[in-house]
Amino acid sequence: MPLRSTEQGWGALVRTFHWLIAVLIVAQGVIGLTMVQMGLTPAKVRVFALHKSIGMTILALVLLRIAWRLTERRPADPAAMPRWQRRAAHALHLALYALILALPLSGWWFNSTANAPLVWFGWFDLPSLTGGYAPIWKPRALLLHQTLFWILVALLAGHVGAAFWHHFRERDDVLRRMTIGPRKQNGEAR
Amino acid sequence: MKRFGGLCIAMLLGWATAALAQTWQVDATHSALTFTNTYQNVEYTGQFHRFDAEIVYDPNDLAHAKFDVSVDIASLDTQNSERDHTALGADFFDTAKFPKAHFVTTAFRKTADGRVVADGVLTLRGVSKPVALTVRFKPDGDTATLDVTAQLKRLDFGIGTGQWADPSMIGDGVTVRGHLLLHARP
Repeated sequence: MPLRSTEQGWGALVRTFHWLIAVLIVAQGVIGLTMVQMGLTPAKVRVFALHKSIGMTILALVLLRIAWRLTERRPADPAAMPRWQRRAAHALHLALYALILALPLSGWWFNSTANAPLVWFGWFDLPSLTGGYAPIWKPRALLLHQTLFWILVALLAGHVGAAFWHHFRERDDVLRRMTIGPRKQNGEAR
Repeated sequence: MKRFGGLCIAMLLGWATAALAQTWQVDATHSALTFTNTYQNVEYTGQFHRFDAEIVYDPNDLAHAKFDVSVDIASLDTQNSERDHTALGADFFDTAKFPKAHFVTTAFRKTADGRVVADGVLTLRGVSKPVALTVRFKPDGDTATLDVTAQLKRLDFGIGTGQWADPSMIGDGVTVRGHLLLHARP
């Protein structure tokens, strides 16, 4: 599997970014929805700290991923794909990048308005985005974070649905080239 | 030399008048009672907005000096509404049972390096413990500023014991600072 992406498929680095971020987003969603139901114990404080640390990790990973993507090509869309589908797919991917950036940023903003600590895995502090407690903005930041989350869930449903549709209905290489790699011309996976 | 002598006499006279036990009125709007602690190993500062302090102090008459301070715990403000709400609850300050903290001095002394230390007793959350304040007093005519600092351990007073005792979650050491602007009482 080449490191860089080719005309036929995604490179190893893009696939690693994709699946690492995917796993972290799923974990983050589960942790986020669970933690808000917890009673106030030290465990809750630790789970919140974990949620914040994972969020900041996703932010760093997606920035690196975008930086890397700008240095290389993307594989060609399947030849059979109509123009509107290509446009829709690219728009969805762009929206996903925007959401994956906006969610940790809105969380960081919310955390800043609440004047809560933000220590990456207990290792180092991240600065406040608001320069201290900002109770007027706090409910708005929380609403934004929650709204963006549900928009991301909807977009991801579309993303996953489209991947399966390509794989099982269209029987093309779209899902394969982000996982095991595209088929060779003779039909074998490589 | 004459001038120097005159200055000395003026200073002595100044000291003599100041030597009467002086009672001070706290200017609440220019005074603050704050503390510093850590939460998840990050330092934060909190404030008690409401407190009463009776201050009798003359740097040249420490034998008659006295501080008597009462703090309205519910006036706690750490610039984080969740933290404040939790801190007032039963696991921490428990203001429902212990609405006030009280500090009263028992003796003032001068250390070898010339600093003034006030020994006293702090009663907080129903626990009374000896606490020492370092005192810095700067007179300025009819007003003065008084800066005091004390080091406490929250667990000594049973604030956040049990599941909350872990100091990596909430630091045990607390530095309390008082900055008071005083007006001389006639």
